[in-house]
Amino acid sequence: MALLKIKNLHANVAGKEILKGISLTINAGEMHAIMGPNGTGKSTLSNVIAGRDGYEVTSGEVLLDDNNLLAMSADERARAGVFLAFQYPVEIPGVSTSNFLKTALNAKRRAAGLPEIDAMEFLKLVKAKTKALGIPDDIIKRQLNVGFSGGEKKRAEVLQMTLLEPRIAILDETDSGLDIDALKVVADGVNNLRSADRGFLVITHYQRLLNYIVPDHVHVMSGGRIVASGGKELALTLEAEGYAKYQAA
Amino acid sequence: MATSFITAHPFGDAYAARAGALPAVAWLESLRRFARAEIAGGLPGAQVEEWRFTPLTQLAKIGFIPAASADDVDVTAVPLDVPVVPGAVRVVLVNGVYRADLSDSLDGLDLRTLRDAVSSSKDMESAVGRVAPLSLPMVALNTAFMEDGLVIAVRGSVTRPVHIISIGAAGSSPVAFHPRVVITTEPGASLSIVETHIGLPGQPFLANPVTEVFVAEDAAVRRFVSVTEEGDAYHLATTVASVASRGTFEAFHMGLGGHKAEGTTRQEIHVVVNGEGTKVNVSGAYAIAGTMHHDFTTVINHRVGGSASRQVFKGVLDGRSHGVYQGRLRVAPDAQKTDARQVHKALFLAHGPAVDCKPELEIDADDVQCAHGAATGALDSDQLFYMAARGIDPETARALLVEGFLAEAIAEIGDESVRVVFAAQMAAWLQRRGGAS
Ligand SMILES: Nc1ncnc2c1ncn2[C@@H]1O[C@H](COP(=O)(O)OP(=O)(O)OP(=O)(O)O)[C@@H](O)[C@H]1O
Ligand SMILES: [Mg+2]
Repeated sequence: MALLKIKNLHANVAGKEILKGISLTINAGEMHAIMGPNGTGKSTLSNVIAGRDGYEVTSGEVLLDDNNLLAMSADERARAGVFLAFQYPVEIPGVSTSNFLKTALNAKRRAAGLPEIDAMEFLKLVKAKTKALGIPDDIIKRQLNVGFSGGEKKRAEVLQMTLLEPRIAILDETDSGLDIDALKVVADGVNNLRSADRGFLVITHYQRLLNYIVPDHVHVMSGGRIVASGGKELALTLEAEGYAKYQAA
Repeated sequence: MATSFITAHPFGDAYAARAGALPAVAWLESLRRFARAEIAGGLPGAQVEEWRFTPLTQLAKIGFIPAASADDVDVTAVPLDVPVVPGAVRVVLVNGVYRADLSDSLDGLDLRTLRDAVSSSKDMESAVGRVAPLSLPMVALNTAFMEDGLVIAVRGSVTRPVHIISIGAAGSSPVAFHPRVVITTEPGASLSIVETHIGLPGQPFLANPVTEVFVAEDAAVRRFVSVTEEGDAYHLATTVASVASRGTFEAFHMGLGGHKAEGTTRQEIHVVVNGEGTKVNVSGAYAIAGTMHHDFTTVINHRVGGSASRQVFKGVLDGRSHGVYQGRLRVAPDAQKTDARQVHKALFLAHGPAVDCKPELEIDADDVQCAHGAATGALDSDQLFYMAARGIDPETARALLVEGFLAEAIAEIGDESVRVVFAAQMAAWLQRRGGAS
């Protein structure tokens, strides 16, 4: 069943066309990886899906469960089940991680017609999740992402994803700059969430991550287009040969 | 520069004739004569540097009468939304006059009304006006017309905080009142004081409180002030504190104004550091809307070295409100090893507000650390998107970000239970505002 359907998507940033006709279907239960040179539009694609301001979609469609995502605001998309793990998570001084997570979780629960979770229950839930992920639970007392190391920020993104249980998770270079232990936390977090009704789109520059979270499909993005698609072995070829052959084209 | 002072104002002979009185003791009469002469020189207009951003031009046109002469003001209870400070002694002033019927008993406390103190104590001559100079226009106005207030003489450690609730209310005419609070400490003594200043709806009033604080050696005074404004009142408050060696003076001032507020609040705080090893913190937060004008003016004067002072001010502005921060740091020529810091940051929730920020560093010693930071901006779009990407609606996201922005200032409140009370008042402001942009 098609979970996320992107059809011939064109988008401009600051008047310049960055996405030049992306088509991609992610079925429930599938793990897709996108690889490609710097500046080809991978983060742009994830921002357009998540609904960030400043990206102008000039044509094409993005559907989640056949609902038009492009007509929804960013927060509506998130509540509908889109989760973007940021390439550069944003620091928010003065807002504790726990307050932020609880607010996000309750927004989602309200939208789903579920009762809000109280402070005690929430704490229990977070403790269970941090423990399962091997993340120190004092992270939730700290101001959101403030002073977090690069690895801590990425782990915090995975914790958020785990709590919010999205339908489609987009991970934008969540593996960049991680040591091997942090990489395992991220990979475990993703693997634990893998399920028949959830899809993943993982943007990465490294085969390394894909050893742990084995993709069903690998796509090469270059110049705002998907120029090649294949199975998990495509990632190995790219690692060995680079993108030269796609960029020349 | 006589032209820069506004000589046509309501505080002339007619006002004096109707003003309430303190017991007629000679030293006070003499002090008042000097103060009256200052006031005759005029109220500060836009050409007076210290009042450039808050000139009293409009105020001078309002026909204020002394609150004591208004016979149609009737306040019979403290409004229920005045916060409760756990364990505190409540002292209520209505239009600057002590109201025993609304206050807790003062028996056994080092606390008297100014009226009692002036008639019964010789010390008052040396205490009133000791640190608050008549050269400050609002101190002169207060001195000329003060008719009541409080005198707190702290011996040892006062375990119960004092909560002063000051209510302003006008009848059919605008009224003005001028309470004086004098706080003195013996060496090693300590006191916490919380102040809630509110106004009742009606004609405009002018609250003109002056607070003098003497912090003795090793003594500590912690003062937490909140001023809430919904109408068109003027709140022009001056605090002058003098701090001796190893003394602590911590002040936190909050100014709130709702979307219907069109008044003017100025919280002016002067601290004179007279000894080594003192700890001075003067911080504050304001959240204003409507056409409210809020001014924080601070002067920290390091006359002696080896002391630290710290200021953290944050403001949130909505509507067409106007914020002012003037922070002057003086470090005397031989006040070496002074460590002074000040920060003012403002956050705009709309396109209408404006802020004037004027740091003034007058540093005449060379071995000194002084840091100043200032920033003004709107909510950060990256932060808003991050919240949206987690499913948080824009209204809630803005409220969280504003609360987060103010948290840095609120954290300066050293007393946990007061911090909770102030944070709740701030949160209520944000909620009333409804996060609308
Ligand atoms: N807000 C913006 N304003 C101007 N140009 C932008 C903006 N966002 C992206 N771009 C441009 O769009 C192009 C694609 O950027 P994008 O971040 O999507 O690349 P990427 O594939 O994610 O690269 P990387 O691998 O380095 O993360 C780049 O040329 C970038 O400079
Ligand atoms: Mg990128």
